[in-house]
Amino acid sequence: MSTPAQTFERFSVSPSRRRKDRIARGAVVAATVVALIPLVLIVYYLLSKGLGSWSPSFFTTDPTGNTFFAASSIGGIKSAILGTIEIVAIASVLAVPLGLGVAVWLVEYGRSSRFAHTVRFFVDVLTGVPSIMFGLFIYIALIVGTGTSYAAYKGAFALALLMLPVVTRSAEVVLLLVPGSLRESALALGAPRWKVIFRIVLPTALPGLLTGVLLAIARAAGETAPLLFTAGVTMKTEFKLNGFMNSLPIQIYTDVTSPTTAVVNRAWGAALTLVVMILLLNLFARLLARRSSLG
Amino acid sequence: MSVENPTISPEEPTMSANEPTMSPDAQPTEMLEPSRSQPSKTTQPAPSAGASARASLRDGLAVKLEKLRAFYGDAEQVKGIDLDFHANEVTAIIGPSGCGKSTMVRCINRMHEEVPGARTEGKVLLDDFDVYDSSVDVVAVRRAIGMVFQKPNPFPTMSVFDNVAAGLRLASRGRGDLHGKVETALRGAGLWEEVKDRLSEPGAGLSGGQQQRLCIARSLAVEPEVILMDEPCSALDPIATLKIEELIDQLKAKVTIVIVTHNMQQAARVADRTAFMLGGELVEVGPTQQIFTNPHDSRTEEYVTGKFG
Amino acid sequence: MSSEVNAGQAVPLTAQQGRQHFQQQLQELETRALGGLDVVIEQLDRTLEALAHQDVELAQMVIADDDRVDGRYLEVHQGILSLLATQAPVAGDLRLVAALLHVIVHVERMGDQCVNIAKLIPLSGYEPPVRPEVLELILKMGAYARSEIVQCKAAFSGRDVGLAEDLARQDREINRLNREIFRTALEIGDDPDTREWAMHMILVARALERIGDNAVDVGEQVAFVVTGLFREFSDQTNPLGN
Repeated sequence: MSTPAQTFERFSVSPSRRRKDRIARGAVVAATVVALIPLVLIVYYLLSKGLGSWSPSFFTTDPTGNTFFAASSIGGIKSAILGTIEIVAIASVLAVPLGLGVAVWLVEYGRSSRFAHTVRFFVDVLTGVPSIMFGLFIYIALIVGTGTSYAAYKGAFALALLMLPVVTRSAEVVLLLVPGSLRESALALGAPRWKVIFRIVLPTALPGLLTGVLLAIARAAGETAPLLFTAGVTMKTEFKLNGFMNSLPIQIYTDVTSPTTAVVNRAWGAALTLVVMILLLNLFARLLARRSSLG
Repeated sequence: MSVENPTISPEEPTMSANEPTMSPDAQPTEMLEPSRSQPSKTTQPAPSAGASARASLRDGLAVKLEKLRAFYGDAEQVKGIDLDFHANEVTAIIGPSGCGKSTMVRCINRMHEEVPGARTEGKVLLDDFDVYDSSVDVVAVRRAIGMVFQKPNPFPTMSVFDNVAAGLRLASRGRGDLHGKVETALRGAGLWEEVKDRLSEPGAGLSGGQQQRLCIARSLAVEPEVILMDEPCSALDPIATLKIEELIDQLKAKVTIVIVTHNMQQAARVADRTAFMLGGELVEVGPTQQIFTNPHDSRTEEYVTGKFG
Repeated sequence: MSSEVNAGQAVPLTAQQGRQHFQQQLQELETRALGGLDVVIEQLDRTLEALAHQDVELAQMVIADDDRVDGRYLEVHQGILSLLATQAPVAGDLRLVAALLHVIVHVERMGDQCVNIAKLIPLSGYEPPVRPEVLELILKMGAYARSEIVQCKAAFSGRDVGLAEDLARQDREINRLNREIFRTALEIGDDPDTREWAMHMILVARALERIGDNAVDVGEQVAFVVTGLFREFSDQTNPLGN
């Protein structure tokens, strides 16, 4: 028979355990704080430095290239915004269906075959390739190789190549998360394979797929290097795909090193614009996803 | 299967062109039309179901396995089985884990071959027609033979209504009186009264027992002749289990039912005939009451009394 | 099947050892039910001795001790209900439980027949006009009945269908003795006291014959447990033989 004191000792937490608990907790909290600091700082800088440049004319006028005159004559970032939207949209239209297609093939058809393993390996490798390589590849293949000049569509190709493995990888993960039992019950109902994929698997995976696609778009929208050798640097608003096109990352890149403060501030404004655009895209897609999952 | 005087009830929709291709020997039209020539069965459908409910669910067919073997790669899981499933009866398959009962049942609606590396040998005769015949469309077989799984799995993105209609839409039979067919199926599954005001709510929002009955309704909507159930109640509480057992008893008037179960008491309650499998082979099959009071094979006796397994 | 469980140690279930607890309960139930037959044998022995020596006190003891038989019946009956409710026996086990229910009913009836005999003894008073030829036959019948009970118990515990079927043969002997006693008693004749005693002896003989029938019924249960089929043993004998 144990005494009350012995029982208490058996069940109570020892002081050394308590200390270890506290140390572990402290370490984890500290790590979180440390990780948050740069994030908070980024947001702070973006807002404090970028908001100042925002104005109606900021969004409606092209950059003029005048950097030595009065701040009011440097222009806005209209061509950069439109350029980013155009190039990223084309890249998405190319990369997203292809990427999803590869992911669907990997999960539904290839599965654990030798060929599927090879494909997966290459996709994984490509996600780690530095973005400048995609730009260089398009540069060599489509600019030097064909003897033509920079073009917006070549920039879109480069970004599409960048997005493809990202879309594929995240889509594959999401599709694998769809329980096999769903596919089984759809098959058992007498549905052909393709219908199972399109009517059951893809709709179920839609929220996750959307998130993956958004991440890929966000990444692509912020890449500077590929566009440097492909879409080139320009200031005017262009719509034709054949020629140079401006984009936000390129704009930021050229403005940030300028000696004129107003131009540097414009860079911050452009950065804030880019972030806000991505955020809006995110929100919009989430709204869509929620609507469709209850549909 | 008496098919002399098939009567077509007025509610039965016309058949679309997407019907199963079969060998010329079978008689497709008679098989697909509801046969009312058999006298009304002893069990009535749920009280709220009217004559239309009975009319639109076809009568069950007999299934016959001939020298059925199933492989996962080189491993033989089902080792040559000859077994009859009588029409409009419930047959239970019992046996210890790993004896191949689920595999065997999955061969009946050709789901086994969906597993990479899996193959089958032998015949599965649906009323004298071999579903493994080379001219057969697998998809059509699965519309005639429905399946209910162990874990209830309604489609998560769909409402109750859409879940039940899913089978029809996936089979391109989503035209016509969809609402009527959904109601019939839900009545057939004993779920109509509980969900008739919640048809547009997500299917996954129902309780476990209701979800399983929803899955049964989903299978019923396609009007199969046979329904395979792979341990349908193992994830459910006792009351839900009993409701489903009662449902099985009513359903057998319209379909042939094969149920795999670990629960011997359930097999004893629900099945007309019981088959005992061991190590991929069929040990014994017979009327349920005989298997549970006086089995012929000593291995059956040992399993059923719990001395092993 | 070992009937002992290692207390305190987890016994892993291997093939052939599933449901050890249930098998143990079933075994105990059978032991108690067949033990009822032993109690009946004791009762019969005492009854026959009381008959032989017109021992009225012994007869009273037999009557009082029927409580033991009744108690045994209730105990086994309750055990059977428990087992059915908690263990859901099937196949061979189920047939055994059903058979035990029949056996214990027969045990109780055999006990009641002993009591019937014992009740007749005081009626003839302390000094009845005993006729040795009749008494001899009665005691011979009693011996047969006793051996039938012993044999039916052995047949059941050994699941010996042959031994059980042999009971029918012994029972024919009892029936023959019953008829002989009846004829002899009819011809006893002279004075009313003797005739009254002879009537009582007919009733005793009838009770012993009933005991024999109950033993044969136990034998039929043996066949049921083993084969799953129920059939009456008397069908094999001469249908007019009874």
